[in-house]
Amino acid sequence: MSEALWGPGARAKTSLDMVALRQAWLLAVNDLRQEARDLELILTSTFFSLVVLIMLGMSFSALGVSSQPLAVPGMLWLSVAFVGALTLGRIFTREREFDTLRALLVAPVERVSIYLAKAFVTMVILLGCSLLTVLGLTLLFPAAQPFADRPLETFALVTMGCTAYAGVGTLFAAGLASSSGKNVLLSVILYPLTMPSLLFALVATRSLLEGHESFTTYLGQLTATNVLAFVVGAWLFEPVLVGVPQKRRGAARAARRRR
Amino acid sequence: MKNILPFAMLGVAALIFPTSVSTIFLETPIEQQMGTVQKIFYFHVPLAWIMMLLAVVCGVSAGIQLRRDSKRAEAVSIAAAELVLVTGLGVLITGPIWGHATWGKAWTWDARQVSTGLLWLVFAAYVLVRHYGAAGSERLAAGLAIFGAIDVPVIYYAVKIWKTTHPSNDVAGSLPASMWAALWPALIALLLTSLALLFIRVRQELTDVTLDEAWISLDDAGAAQPATGDA
Repeated sequence: MSEALWGPGARAKTSLDMVALRQAWLLAVNDLRQEARDLELILTSTFFSLVVLIMLGMSFSALGVSSQPLAVPGMLWLSVAFVGALTLGRIFTREREFDTLRALLVAPVERVSIYLAKAFVTMVILLGCSLLTVLGLTLLFPAAQPFADRPLETFALVTMGCTAYAGVGTLFAAGLASSSGKNVLLSVILYPLTMPSLLFALVATRSLLEGHESFTTYLGQLTATNVLAFVVGAWLFEPVLVGVPQKRRGAARAARRRR
Repeated sequence: MKNILPFAMLGVAALIFPTSVSTIFLETPIEQQMGTVQKIFYFHVPLAWIMMLLAVVCGVSAGIQLRRDSKRAEAVSIAAAELVLVTGLGVLITGPIWGHATWGKAWTWDARQVSTGLLWLVFAAYVLVRHYGAAGSERLAAGLAIFGAIDVPVIYYAVKIWKTTHPSNDVAGSLPASMWAALWPALIALLLTSLALLFIRVRQELTDVTLDEAWISLDDAGAAQPATGDA
């Protein structure tokens, strides 16, 4: 199987897109397998989600039922934003600690596959934490009952919201990991860029809780934001992570040195 | 010629600006519904147009920087981003003043207000990453600038896509000639000032790069000398 994927004849056998997707899948499975072994990211993110949930419950328990549909969407997506920043901060740490990001970059793997794999892993962890938050909010606030009444819509909404966050966040988390940058900058970059998708998710959640027909429109707009985030993220991943090859400039410099 | 151009532009802007202010406050009729506060329109709209133009310039030059590793494009990107912050601040100050007088509320969370605020935040993040980021973060900042430029069409079409309290894009086309006569000089003066500052800042940034390279080559030469001596 690996010969078919990585070997010289791989591109002849399947199209480039399919190879990239299968490489992404293998990388994601590998990351998830490593995560399943030590559970570091899963446990810390879940614990953090629970702490945020308890703080939200304590702060807003006195909120009237009529005001809750306005507050619950904010609670959900702020929690996703915080957990997302934590997850993205850690998603490349293992690569940085063992210097495997460089190994990954020189391996015969499409760069877009690395991006898709990391985004997928982020999304899976974020989705798990978000579903936990949704469950907690449903138990704590009576106005969040539509989450339980319309599980498919809720799942679609949470998946779309987490996907957009992972799409944008993975690009910049990777960039910071490769530039040995300060992690505080991740939050500086992440929140303004993910705000449009979080805002769409917020209004879609409100319309879901209030039973408005506009829910599907907002979900469609959120999906469009996701597509845009992933297309731009995949397009920018290689230039942001490693820059462009500078053969010509390097050669000119070398020639000048020889002279 | 290149050295004089920005200062010539600043000089022309300095000549036009007082005339523009006098036209706005003394010659243009006072709007019946909004009163004198409507005069802020002549500063708010040109600043918003210039902010969007500079955001696009920043995004495009960041794209060129990423594709070709061009120092000139990087300098343009830095200068444009800083000016987006300045003009954006102008837009975000004049807008709520006008909104408070017209809608009775300075900030209504209107789609255009939110997307403009987001644009400002993205470019503020760009400037922070440029200043405090480690080596290699210039590519990260370029990625941010591209996302920022994508926000420009969102700002423009926000009033068409969503229900907003903001006036529609067609308002500019339906303005009477007397208002255009006051809007043009304000736009030209502010645009010339912004472009002059852009040119000056680009030159500063390129000088900075040249100095850096000179410093590195001096350092390299210093490091190479003892080795040659030993040999």
